[in-house]
Amino acid sequence: MPPPPTIEVNALPLALALPFAAAAIAAGFGRRLGRATGWIVFAAAAASTAILAGLPGHGEVAGFRVPWLPAIGVDFALRADPFGRFFALLVSGVGIFIVLYAIAYMAGEDARRMPRFWAALAAFMGAMIGIALSDDLLLLFLFWEITSLSSFLLIGHHDDDPKARAGALLALQVTGLGGLVLALGILLVAQITGTFSMSGIASSPAQVAALLSSPLAPAALACILVGVFTKSAQFPFHFWLPRAMVAPTPVSAYLHAATMVKAGVFLLGRMLPLFGGLPMWTPTLVIVGSITMLLGAWKAFHETDLKAILARTTGSTLGFLTLLYGLGAAEQDALQMLNHALYKGALFLVAGIVDHRVHTRDLRKLGGLRGELPLPFLAATLAALSMAGVPPMLGFLAKESFYAGILHNELLAGQPLVRWAILLACLAANALVAAVAAKFVIGTFLGERKGTPVGGHDGAGSHATAGHHADDHGGGHGGGGAHIESPPLWISPLALAAPALALGLLGATSFTGHLATAIASRPEHDFHLSLLPGIGLPLGLSLAGFLLAFVLWSMRTRIAALPAAHAAHHSLDRLWERGIANLAVLGEALSSRWQNGSLRRYFITTLLAVPVLSWLALAKVGLSYRDIAVSLTNLPWFGLFLCVLLGIATVTAVSATNRLQAAIATTTIGFIVSMLFVVYRSPDILLTQILIETVSTIFVLLVLLFMPAFPQRDMDRSSQLVAMGVATVFSLAITVLLLLSMTPGLREEANIAVRPGGLLSLALEKGGGANAVNVIIVDIRSLDTNGEITVLVGVGLCIYGLLRARRARSTAA
Amino acid sequence: MNAESPILRTVAGYAIPFTLLVALRIFFQGHDEPGGGFIAGVLVASAGAIHLLSYGVERAARIRWWRVAVIGLLVSVCNGIWPMLLGHPYMDNEILHWPVHLPTATFFDLGVMLIVVGTLMTIFVELSLERR
Repeated sequence: MPPPPTIEVNALPLALALPFAAAAIAAGFGRRLGRATGWIVFAAAAASTAILAGLPGHGEVAGFRVPWLPAIGVDFALRADPFGRFFALLVSGVGIFIVLYAIAYMAGEDARRMPRFWAALAAFMGAMIGIALSDDLLLLFLFWEITSLSSFLLIGHHDDDPKARAGALLALQVTGLGGLVLALGILLVAQITGTFSMSGIASSPAQVAALLSSPLAPAALACILVGVFTKSAQFPFHFWLPRAMVAPTPVSAYLHAATMVKAGVFLLGRMLPLFGGLPMWTPTLVIVGSITMLLGAWKAFHETDLKAILARTTGSTLGFLTLLYGLGAAEQDALQMLNHALYKGALFLVAGIVDHRVHTRDLRKLGGLRGELPLPFLAATLAALSMAGVPPMLGFLAKESFYAGILHNELLAGQPLVRWAILLACLAANALVAAVAAKFVIGTFLGERKGTPVGGHDGAGSHATAGHHADDHGGGHGGGGAHIESPPLWISPLALAAPALALGLLGATSFTGHLATAIASRPEHDFHLSLLPGIGLPLGLSLAGFLLAFVLWSMRTRIAALPAAHAAHHSLDRLWERGIANLAVLGEALSSRWQNGSLRRYFITTLLAVPVLSWLALAKVGLSYRDIAVSLTNLPWFGLFLCVLLGIATVTAVSATNRLQAAIATTTIGFIVSMLFVVYRSPDILLTQILIETVSTIFVLLVLLFMPAFPQRDMDRSSQLVAMGVATVFSLAITVLLLLSMTPGLREEANIAVRPGGLLSLALEKGGGANAVNVIIVDIRSLDTNGEITVLVGVGLCIYGLLRARRARSTAA
Repeated sequence: MNAESPILRTVAGYAIPFTLLVALRIFFQGHDEPGGGFIAGVLVASAGAIHLLSYGVERAARIRWWRVAVIGLLVSVCNGIWPMLLGHPYMDNEILHWPVHLPTATFFDLGVMLIVVGTLMTIFVELSLERR
């Protein structure tokens, strides 16, 4: 099937530029704007949603393409195909309600941290929309990394809390490392196919065939999968997600339920058309997905902290989505993602409200809140019903269609054992999740009200708890429920839970089915969705799931007493942290040997590297010292005179008895060398050399006082000999190189610049300047200069920071 | 060095404006003749160094010089991004002929100059503060 025609829409980049603009405003003026900052982010989210919703559809795909790095075939290419547009809309649409909620929720927070919070949240939103819309793999990677960085800032919002810092660091380490591996995979794909364009590869059967038959394809896929598994918290990288629950609740709801963790799964959807035919695709994803799904659901069953429960079940759902892609069931991926984002986002927000109200999230201390929080109770009930897959919620439709999908899956044809194993695994996970949903609502809202614990600490809870969290805004609301009256706090969970009901009810018509098909990543599949299922296996499985959930629920105390429930909790994150610590020890050991701070040693290494490298280079082009063809006949007498002066200055520098003498002698050498440039008529270098000499003299005078005694008396005979040898080898190499540069062959090379069509005429033509050197620097090779000046700025900032920090320490001491 | 030397101050009063004028000239002539943003930046920084040595570091330290460098980097990068908004590749410079002959690379060069000034002056000021 040919891909739908792409039409250029210039508004498309606005959808992701607006959140970034909001981030810039929040970062720059957030302190002055105060509470208005949140509303700016809100406006950006709403505007992005409007732009995305207003894109043309119906057989056309909105696109936007600007050459970015044309030399290596990288474009700033956006493409809003239905699936990408759905994901972008999910990000911006859920974002609207998250921001609305956060404005109320974060009202009591320390105002100094809020500009950073809003900037990171808005940048995160923009980057997620970027991931959804990117068509270029490298562009996608760029946004991918921005989400990792901004989520680091958001998780570590309470930067004075060691737990928050550790959780944020762990998330950054795992997702950042995965991002690096992903970059490797992307480069491999580009190496094989010669393009970074995902739609370009997917729409060309020849390209896909070339990709699949390449021996590098499994390596490329493995690298991409590591990126996906770390981002989406798949086994064995699942451990960072519960630890990230130290984030403020709106962040958890947004990043760790609705959007960021789905970025990995989303990339799977993008990769399915490319790698789906690879033999390792299905087994890897099915096994990893099943393990993550069962492990998450099982762990969730034992957690008592509301957010930890939700984090574990999120992990379970992400495993389920991975499994889905492993089976190639891309016709219902958008449906499942939408379903999860709605109910899980709502439940997280309710958990935040509960936390605000009674200052704890520990189920053992909660209960009977239905009277105090009627609207959150309603939202939580709707969301939990959807989570458990009870009709008529959207969750029921999603579950039914998944069971049906497995039963009719072509990949599993002829493998009844595998099919039933997967079905049973899903049944078990669904039952556990349903029991957990019941636990969440019943434990929090039903039963009798337990006394409000003073201070809100739940030290006995899981270590994923942000127990201190309640303290941070404790000063802001005296009665404990001051924020509950503010509508944004309860509007958002209701607004997320209501569509779960509405879309479920609309399942009685064909609307939900059409919608799910329209936004799926592979919509051409024949896909049925109905609230009124036929009597068949899917319905039977659902009923069996409810029965099992009820059994689990009623036996929950006995299951909690099982030894398996407590075995090996959080062992993988400990292992990871030990690995990181060992890495640091290794790095320290290595650098204390290589970077031992001895300037003389660094200098010797550098000076020896020059002759060795230049000898290698010369050998490669087939030149040696025998090719030197220089005659000194055209050297004028004053040139010779300057050389004599140079010799005298050099001897003075070497035999100087104090540092000032040496400095003056070295400066003299520099100025005499610049006189030589007069002889050879090169005013560019002359000008530069004189100025550089002036500036370095000022430097030397400024640092002279801090230098140790000179010359160093501790140098013994052998190290003196070594120094002399190194100096001789280095200067010989430089002399040979300089003399060789005048050999006829190399001169021809250099003269290319002067010939017609050479750099000189190119400079005049393209740069409009006659000074070829400068035009090369600022125009023709401006990318190089760009890199260099960036390094220069970095060096300046480092010197500033290092010296300031040192002075601050010495004044403090 | 004696920061209060009247001779140094008197000379500096003439030398600094003159150096800055030369730097301006060298910056603009860099397009066709020897010169350019880098050298102009070094010249400006040496004018700054004369100022710092003759009038003391306190007055020079009033400016956050690292910000000058960062602004320079922004100028250069924005000059590169601007063509992207018009649908050209990054750093795709062109030559404006109105009102004067002006290649857009001049702005890139201006950024280079600001960076050189900012970085060198940061180092000068910080090292001088260190001495006290």
